[in-house]
Amino acid sequence: MTEHRIIKEDLCTRFKRIIAEPDLEIKRVQAENPAPVIGHLPTDVPEELIHASGAYPYGLVAYEGVWANRADAHLQTWACSLARCSFGMSLAGKLDYLSGLIIPHICDTTRMISGIWKQNRPYGFMENYELPRQVDRPSARSYLIGELERLKSSLELFMGRSIADEELNRSISLYNQSRSLLRKLYRLHEHRPDLITNLDVFNAIKSSMLIPKELHNLMVSDLIRAVEQEARENNSDDAACRVRVVLTGKVWEPPAVIEILDKSGVVCVADDLCTGYRYIANDVAESGDPLEALADRQLKRPPSPCFVNRKQDRLEYLVQKVKESNAAGVIFLHLKFCETENYDYPLLRDALFAANIPNIRIETEIGNVSQGQISTRIEAFVEMLGGEETYGS
Amino acid sequence: MAASQPFKTAGLLKDLMAKYYEQGNLAREQGMPVVWVTAVSPVELVYAAGLFPYYPENFGALAAARKVADKISMAAETQGFFSDLCGYARCGLGDAYAQEHPVGKIVRPDLLFSCNTQCGSLQKWFETAARMYQAPYFLLDAPLIENTSTTLIKNYLIEQLQEAINFFEVATKTPFNFDRLAEVLDLANEACRLWNEILDMAAMKPAPFGFFDACFHMAPIVTWRGTKEAVMYYRELKKELEDRLSKKIYAVPDERFKVYWDHIPVWPKLRWFSDLFAEHGALVAVSQYTHSWAYQFDLDRPLESLAENYSEGFSNRGFEDRIQLKINFMKKYQVDGFALFSNRSCKPTAFGLYDKRNIISERTGLPGVVFEGDMSDLRYFSDEQVRNKFKIFFEQLT
Repeated sequence: MTEHRIIKEDLCTRFKRIIAEPDLEIKRVQAENPAPVIGHLPTDVPEELIHASGAYPYGLVAYEGVWANRADAHLQTWACSLARCSFGMSLAGKLDYLSGLIIPHICDTTRMISGIWKQNRPYGFMENYELPRQVDRPSARSYLIGELERLKSSLELFMGRSIADEELNRSISLYNQSRSLLRKLYRLHEHRPDLITNLDVFNAIKSSMLIPKELHNLMVSDLIRAVEQEARENNSDDAACRVRVVLTGKVWEPPAVIEILDKSGVVCVADDLCTGYRYIANDVAESGDPLEALADRQLKRPPSPCFVNRKQDRLEYLVQKVKESNAAGVIFLHLKFCETENYDYPLLRDALFAANIPNIRIETEIGNVSQGQISTRIEAFVEMLGGEETYGS
Repeated sequence: MAASQPFKTAGLLKDLMAKYYEQGNLAREQGMPVVWVTAVSPVELVYAAGLFPYYPENFGALAAARKVADKISMAAETQGFFSDLCGYARCGLGDAYAQEHPVGKIVRPDLLFSCNTQCGSLQKWFETAARMYQAPYFLLDAPLIENTSTTLIKNYLIEQLQEAINFFEVATKTPFNFDRLAEVLDLANEACRLWNEILDMAAMKPAPFGFFDACFHMAPIVTWRGTKEAVMYYRELKKELEDRLSKKIYAVPDERFKVYWDHIPVWPKLRWFSDLFAEHGALVAVSQYTHSWAYQFDLDRPLESLAENYSEGFSNRGFEDRIQLKINFMKKYQVDGFALFSNRSCKPTAFGLYDKRNIISERTGLPGVVFEGDMSDLRYFSDEQVRNKFKIFFEQLT
């Protein structure tokens, strides 16, 4: 095994471990440099603000499904498993290292869970991030800038310090660097899925929400270097043999689904997942007023079912994305009870079929999933796309 | 409905609603664009713009009350809109795909205008319909008010109302008429005032009118709010109730208890619940639902006032405010207990009820019950389970 390969595998294993045991790394970092950890639910919370306030931003994206039932006394079982599990983990004391929590209001469940959470397991700092749910009119921008100002003041009050524009700009720059590195890794993965798998790239993105970006950026830089070296030394036509697929949905949960894609000869070439490409798709301008720049990034993110955007409809966007990325098909990864995705699904599906793009919907639940069935369906889909003739033999 | 004698105004209501539906069908032919609107949205702007407001939620409630909601929903479900979604939305979307139309055909929109203070379901349902019908869509977005309303939120709403006016001006190719808006707001104020005076009569002991009656008589305050028709209707209804009082005709003949109900009724079980409560001498006197239409607009500052009224209602409030609002109603109507409806179709009103039940009992000492079901889809309703839950509840009413 070459040195590059050893470095690569070590880094990919570390990303995987950060997700498997998310408290270890953040507690270690905190022991070295004490500062409050402020959690946030997906998606779209401006972590740059948390970072600039001196706290550690921490995404609630590493799930232990067994705790979902803990929420049952407070939240109906027909809430999505993402909400039930995050809240259940909090109730079970699995997130006690948090000093604060920011809940973005992106759907009815997030809107309602903030009050229930505050009632049953409050942290020192509890905030909502009330995003505009329409993003294509001028009022969205003026309101969002105001909302960012409000959130900033609230963080300043909790942290007992003010956030200077220069500090926020430095955080923005750090986060842009993170996004840029992860985008580079994503493209590397597209070209060399034999060297950097679907799971590797998604683990890299998700783990970046769990540890400081300063540390994570170094790891991703090292990983990119190692993969590039390995690619130079070892040619492969693996990418050409794989079926190119676009993933669409909220989160890639449970991770076993991505492992199934890896085993089925699929290379994920684009996605709009909150814990995937949507997280890294666009940067914040580094000139001008930082809050305005953060607002502009939010309004220009790829379409999501949570936000109305009649000027860039998700239907056309997704079809376009598939064509641009030269993908053979689309996999809908939907969490059961996710209303926003379900409302979009039938027309998205039909728009894809109308453009001759095969697609399949996989429904999952955190903590409760039949891997065998998902595996069979994905394999059949890949086979239909012509994957089996060229891959896996 | 629980009263032994039917309301005389029931005939008037029937005529009024028939007229409404007829207008919906005729509007387009008469060159009046049809705007899909949501129940808690500033329909006053739509009436003032000379457009016809059509309520798909009302279509859902009608289908539910006639016990055909699940049938119409199936047409949506076979398309991939799963049964986890709001029952009204499944009906509204399903009817467009359905071969049979047991409550008439849903009217196709020329424009769609929704407000998400009630829920995100309406936002998504209307967005989906806008794609289906390829019609322009405007979302009036209302960030949740957790404590007191902020200037930020109010300004956001006002700016959006100006955008909405522009949206309607583009559709009508006519400048928006603010004088007409003042007239509409004045009529809405009068109808809301009358409606709330009627609702308040449920606080009398015994009362001539209760929540289940309100569910029956609420259609005009939703659909005709802002018109002379609504004002006329509630004047008549109020007169009839005063007449009933003088004749000692009460909603529950031997009323012994009053109960607070949260939130919407189980439409296909309206009679079932009404009978269940009446059997125990209990009148469901109040619900935050029927009190939603309690707007009072300031004609001198129309947009500010619309922004306040539509963003500050209970459906746009946080956890603690919602508890306090329920308790205020319980105190005002001097209820003996409360029933909380964990409605599968309505996450915003259902989520949090498990905790709220305990908190409200602790603060008021009143017995309460949370029951599971769906406002329109009987597949999610078990007569036996609900009856058993209420059996224990009624035993606690002493």
